[in-house]
Amino acid sequence: MRKLVVMILCVTLAFTQSFAQNRTVTGKVTDEKGAAIAGASVVAKSSKAGTTTSADGTFKLTVANSVKVLTISSLNFVQKDVTIAANNTANASLTASAADALDEVIVVGYGAAKKKSDVTGSVVTVNAEKLQNKPTANMFDALQGKVPGLQVYNSSGEPSATPSIRLNGVGSLGASSTPLYVMDGIPIDPGTIVSLNPEDFESVTVLKDASSTSIYGSRAANGVIFITSKKGKVNSSKITVQTQYGVSNLVKPTLDLFNSFMNTKQLTDYWVATGYRTQAQVASLLATYNADTKWYQQYYKENIPTKQIDINISGGGGKTTYYVSGSAFKQEGLTYRSDYERYTLRSNVTTTVNNWFKLGLNLSGGYDERQTNPYGSNSTNRGLSLLRQPFYSAYDANGVKYPDIIPGGNFYNPNYLADKLPSKGTNVQFNPSGYIQINPFTGFTLKSQVGMEFYDYRGSSKTLPSYLGSLNNGAASESFSRGTTKTITNTAEYTFKFKQRNSFTLLAGQEFISNNSNSFSGGSTGQTDDRLVLVSAGPTGYTAGSSMSEYAYSSYFGRLNYNLDSKYFVDLSVRNDQSSRFGRALRGATFYSAGLMWKAKNEKFLQNVKWVDNLVIKGSIGTSGNSSIGNYQSLATVGTNLYNSTPGWGVSSAGNPELSWEKQRQINIGTQATLFNKLNIDVEYFDRVTSSMLISVPFPYTSGFSSITSNVGSLKNSGFNANVNFDFIKKKSSFLNVYVNVGYVEQKITELFQGKNYWIIPNTGVCWAVGQPVSYFYPIWAGVNPANGDATWYTPNADPNKIVETTKSATSNAFNSTGLQQNTGIKRYAPFNGGFGFSAGFREFSVSADFSFSKGKYMINNDRYFFENPNQFTGYNQSVTVLNYWKQAGDQARFPRYGVQFTQFDTRLIEDASFMRLKALTFAYDFSKTLLNKQKVLSAAKFYVTFRNIWTLTNYSGPDPEVDTNVSLGANPNTSQVSVGLNLQF
Amino acid sequence: MKKLLIKNMIAFAAILSLGSCEKKLDLYPYDSIELSQSFQTVKDAATWNNGLYSDLRGRVYGSYNISQDVQVDQLNATLDFGNRNGNPHRWGTSFLADDGALSGSWAGYYGALRNINTCIAGFEKVKTNSAAEIATLARYKGDAYLARAYYYSELILRFAKPYEPATAATDLGVPLVLEFDINARPARSTVKKVYDQIIADIATAKTNLAATAGAAGATKFTIDVAVALEARVRLHMQDWAGAMTAANTIITGAKYPLLNTLTNLNNMWTNDLATEVIYNCAVVKTTEQANTNSIYLGFNGATGKYVPDFIPTVDFVSLFDAADYRKSVYLKQLPCIIQGVNFPTMWCVNKFPGNPALFTSTYTNYQHAPKVFRSAEQYLIYAEAAAKVGGASEALALTALNTLRTARGLTALSGVTGSSLMAEIIKERTRELAFEGFRLFDLKRWHLGFTRGTAQDLGAINVGSNYNTISIAADANQFVWGIPTYDININTNLVQNTGW
Repeated sequence: MRKLVVMILCVTLAFTQSFAQNRTVTGKVTDEKGAAIAGASVVAKSSKAGTTTSADGTFKLTVANSVKVLTISSLNFVQKDVTIAANNTANASLTASAADALDEVIVVGYGAAKKKSDVTGSVVTVNAEKLQNKPTANMFDALQGKVPGLQVYNSSGEPSATPSIRLNGVGSLGASSTPLYVMDGIPIDPGTIVSLNPEDFESVTVLKDASSTSIYGSRAANGVIFITSKKGKVNSSKITVQTQYGVSNLVKPTLDLFNSFMNTKQLTDYWVATGYRTQAQVASLLATYNADTKWYQQYYKENIPTKQIDINISGGGGKTTYYVSGSAFKQEGLTYRSDYERYTLRSNVTTTVNNWFKLGLNLSGGYDERQTNPYGSNSTNRGLSLLRQPFYSAYDANGVKYPDIIPGGNFYNPNYLADKLPSKGTNVQFNPSGYIQINPFTGFTLKSQVGMEFYDYRGSSKTLPSYLGSLNNGAASESFSRGTTKTITNTAEYTFKFKQRNSFTLLAGQEFISNNSNSFSGGSTGQTDDRLVLVSAGPTGYTAGSSMSEYAYSSYFGRLNYNLDSKYFVDLSVRNDQSSRFGRALRGATFYSAGLMWKAKNEKFLQNVKWVDNLVIKGSIGTSGNSSIGNYQSLATVGTNLYNSTPGWGVSSAGNPELSWEKQRQINIGTQATLFNKLNIDVEYFDRVTSSMLISVPFPYTSGFSSITSNVGSLKNSGFNANVNFDFIKKKSSFLNVYVNVGYVEQKITELFQGKNYWIIPNTGVCWAVGQPVSYFYPIWAGVNPANGDATWYTPNADPNKIVETTKSATSNAFNSTGLQQNTGIKRYAPFNGGFGFSAGFREFSVSADFSFSKGKYMINNDRYFFENPNQFTGYNQSVTVLNYWKQAGDQARFPRYGVQFTQFDTRLIEDASFMRLKALTFAYDFSKTLLNKQKVLSAAKFYVTFRNIWTLTNYSGPDPEVDTNVSLGANPNTSQVSVGLNLQF
Repeated sequence: MKKLLIKNMIAFAAILSLGSCEKKLDLYPYDSIELSQSFQTVKDAATWNNGLYSDLRGRVYGSYNISQDVQVDQLNATLDFGNRNGNPHRWGTSFLADDGALSGSWAGYYGALRNINTCIAGFEKVKTNSAAEIATLARYKGDAYLARAYYYSELILRFAKPYEPATAATDLGVPLVLEFDINARPARSTVKKVYDQIIADIATAKTNLAATAGAAGATKFTIDVAVALEARVRLHMQDWAGAMTAANTIITGAKYPLLNTLTNLNNMWTNDLATEVIYNCAVVKTTEQANTNSIYLGFNGATGKYVPDFIPTVDFVSLFDAADYRKSVYLKQLPCIIQGVNFPTMWCVNKFPGNPALFTSTYTNYQHAPKVFRSAEQYLIYAEAAAKVGGASEALALTALNTLRTARGLTALSGVTGSSLMAEIIKERTRELAFEGFRLFDLKRWHLGFTRGTAQDLGAINVGSNYNTISIAADANQFVWGIPTYDININTNLVQNTGW
């Protein structure tokens, strides 16, 4: 026994002895900006001892006394040797390696931010500088053409409009195809974006494949757009002031259309020629009304101002960072009663309380006022105002504008309607979110985040008692709606290494989201004085209304990120969601994903290939869901009505107890390479299969309902996304970078409902046919018969089951909107979307241009049904094209003989609305350092001129090709802006 | 220390995750209740019953009258009509099976039938606690059956050939949907089967409404409404005796005397005087509005001028004798402006000018209490059925006709028999019921075609062979409306009518 004790003692001593020959070195590895680098490898030079840095960048390594130098390396950073200081410390500041200079830290799903290059998923980030200084309220405008596969269309020239956004095609025939929007971890409504200040955004990251989106489960089938707001940086305080002023105007192609109408002489001559009026009738008309008015100039204003100012202050000290900002934005539309005015405030604060506790709080609030022109569609008070006859005048003989009714025309002056029928919305937006984060031990993080999206929207509209259409009988109505979406998320994340080479990150989490939307409204009529038009001033016609609706989601999720030697990466995720929208038994669904990535550049055989700076190959597969339908649709319900002031009931919804999730399976394969330190290529293939689609399935009217939302059918979208950018010049004093983004989608419906092989959606011109993309099914125009001036159309396939197969073998001169409809072969959705541009600079001067384009985009130009139909809309002004009609045998005319309806809803109206648009062109001057160094206040200053939408290339003959619709009628066209701006940094 | 920390962490996470209980996912709407919960008490049945009336109000007047009235001979489309209701007006290739006029009424009636069928089944589940409740529930049942009969009587007039005793058993009618089943894909029943169902439903209604006496201006169904519908239906079925019996019940009941002064007739059509109204829908200013027949005036308050979509033909205007009170009630010469041209004394249809008591602004909103059954129609039914019976009944027919004529300011006819008697009845029906949605179905029943009459002023209207000079042969295909394309496409058991 004693022997044993002695032995142990000896061994211990021996150990102690050998220990004494080593030393423990501590240190911290940071990047150039002082941010900690986690997972950096620290190896003793000429020895095998090594470790990696922890999450805060620190390390502790025991080395032999003989070791004097440590080699520190981290992916995407230049390797560095550091000499161990006398006090056994070794701190290193690594510089980013050239190829990865652009590499950002991004948040993909939940948990801590990751280096973008370590993410197996398909993600694209657009940074602050691309989002800034735009003469438009909505941040999404800046994304147009910037992200391959992301289609952004502005459908309206209204300053408060929200663009329509789709990623990699239309993912569902029934439920929404809009991506999920997440701001700082909290889901928000796309309509909220316009109420937020784009200058507050650090970056917008688009998550495209299953590997990055499946963690969002049930709502991520259409991709995720992740917005990160700005944060302050420790020891980097700055004050930024940005201001901009500009004007809006109509541009081509809108003006081309607006100027293509007949003048007074053309129109009255036409009337005589076609026999609608006699020469005498025209003469008598012109004796009274003989103006030559271009009515669009009365309905659209010129040089309308846009103003904005943004001030933000950011910085940090010790363990706290802050970012506070305030902004004001005001833009008027060109039409009457169209404007948007917004004020925002934001405060983002983070603080590290102690070595295991951290918290952050983002408060974003805003107020906006909006008006939108109500006379779209087929209203002659704007949408179809071009039909107004040119011989009437908006001005009297003395050149004074008629205050109310246009004589002869018997219609109102547009500003009269604007003045007498005011209608305004005001919105209070509040988006707070906060988190606490606890690191109980190295690599382990618990985070709990709560957030809310909140709005109060007030609508107020009046009919002034002086309005001639209802004289001395005004009306007022007020509405209030409130929406709250609360999100609570709890996650636990653990990052660790196994035998140095294997890096793991494990994440588990839980989330609960609940939404409540409610509203009430009230109104009265009978106001008699323009100065007293509150609801309370109306003696009669009291109305009241209210509504309330809710939904909730409960979810659990987990993720594993693994990599071996920073070469081979595997990401696995799983999520289970429960939604209140579906039948109780079917409300849950589980979604998964797997992603793989190979960083080839990190292989030995490529490490010495100098011209390859980076080469990555990645792929992923996974599922996600879609539940973007209305609430309560699974329930058969009874709704209320009134009869003789007593409530009544009627069946309001047939319900569908079998209603469940729409599912999507997505595969992505892609590669990314950086070559010659200049050329960056990113290419990916995707394949999305949507099944159990949430579609409003048609039911015969005899059932009592025309449609019921059901899970049916399947749809496939596949295609490519590519981004290429090339640095022609990359020097300190000059640069020139050119980029191109292209997204291509091929859509195919693979299954429908009720065993149908096609379904023509009534009154849309659009058909779903198995084996085809969503396509236009319309009567096909066969031309004007030169012999007799008849209008002719091709008759569809004689076999009604083969209507999809168009033969064009016979024609008919009898129009029949349903009887003649057949496959036109024209796709509803544009297969190609993208953008390109360049940025260049020389010393203090820089210029950038961003184009976006859409190819294969088609729309039914419904306006032409009104503009080119003289015997259908007799007496109204028409496009000059109607002059070209058949008059005698042998005429090759555009339109048939007078008496036959000129324009029918047929393929002539389906126009190629492909376009290329110069979204932004900016010239900037950065005040030189030498100039700035002469004073102490300013640290940077920039002056710029920016143009938006000033040039468009399109063959579309309507007001605007960018409108996202199948049928365009009375569109309020996009406008162009020219703005000058000044950015100052203190 | 570390252990304690972890413990705290776990407790903390547990507290936060309390937010997610399953219960919070069981959400129900606030503006509706579950169907399965809605037939429990007689009070529930009362609410359903009220809902049926609300449905009915939404299915009379407006497009439920206008579509068939613009289709026939009495109206011209003005140059300012903007193609509103233009398709049925022009016939031919303008009027197709996917027209909103067809699907609107088809979907409207079947939508109402959905609620009725739900009620008829649901009322069986309602628990009654007293004799009074049993009686009340019986009345609701009667209302439901009567409403069902009414809707089918309207559907069959529109979408099927007129009832001909020889062929009714084989002519295609409309699908008979007698229970709410979302998945049903019913085929068309024969005309006879549909009429048999209507008669059976009226019989059930009469039993259940036996104790609900009629009264002028009723806003809910009464036994008289059931009898009035029966008279109308039996006339269409060529059951002359049955039609006479039913119409006579109303006439001899004497609860709905014909208005016989200009003032009162004017009051009926402007102020909803209900003396001769067997049933009209309740309308409440601002909150409960009916459909309107608003195509005839187009009053512009700002200018004080009228911009009608449709104006009556000269032939129609001249149907009225100067002494006829209806000439100055149904028609009016008004200052119109059409395409900037003034027409200071254009004849306009003034049958639906709007009841000032229901206006919601300074100017008319064309609101009326829609008159669904009036006693005048019963006199015309009686006269026509009696004339068809012929022989001794012709005298009865003439008496009924003269009662109406004299009430309206015309002189009584005498010695009129045979085809000239029938011609007078047709003329009288044309005058009396003008623009109340009857004419198309009458022409169909009489197997008459038409040529659209002479226009007041060709400079004010759309001209051409599909407008003012259109000529339609008797029994032309489009007298029978096409089954809406939508249903044809989805329900493969349906057969389309000829010519659509």
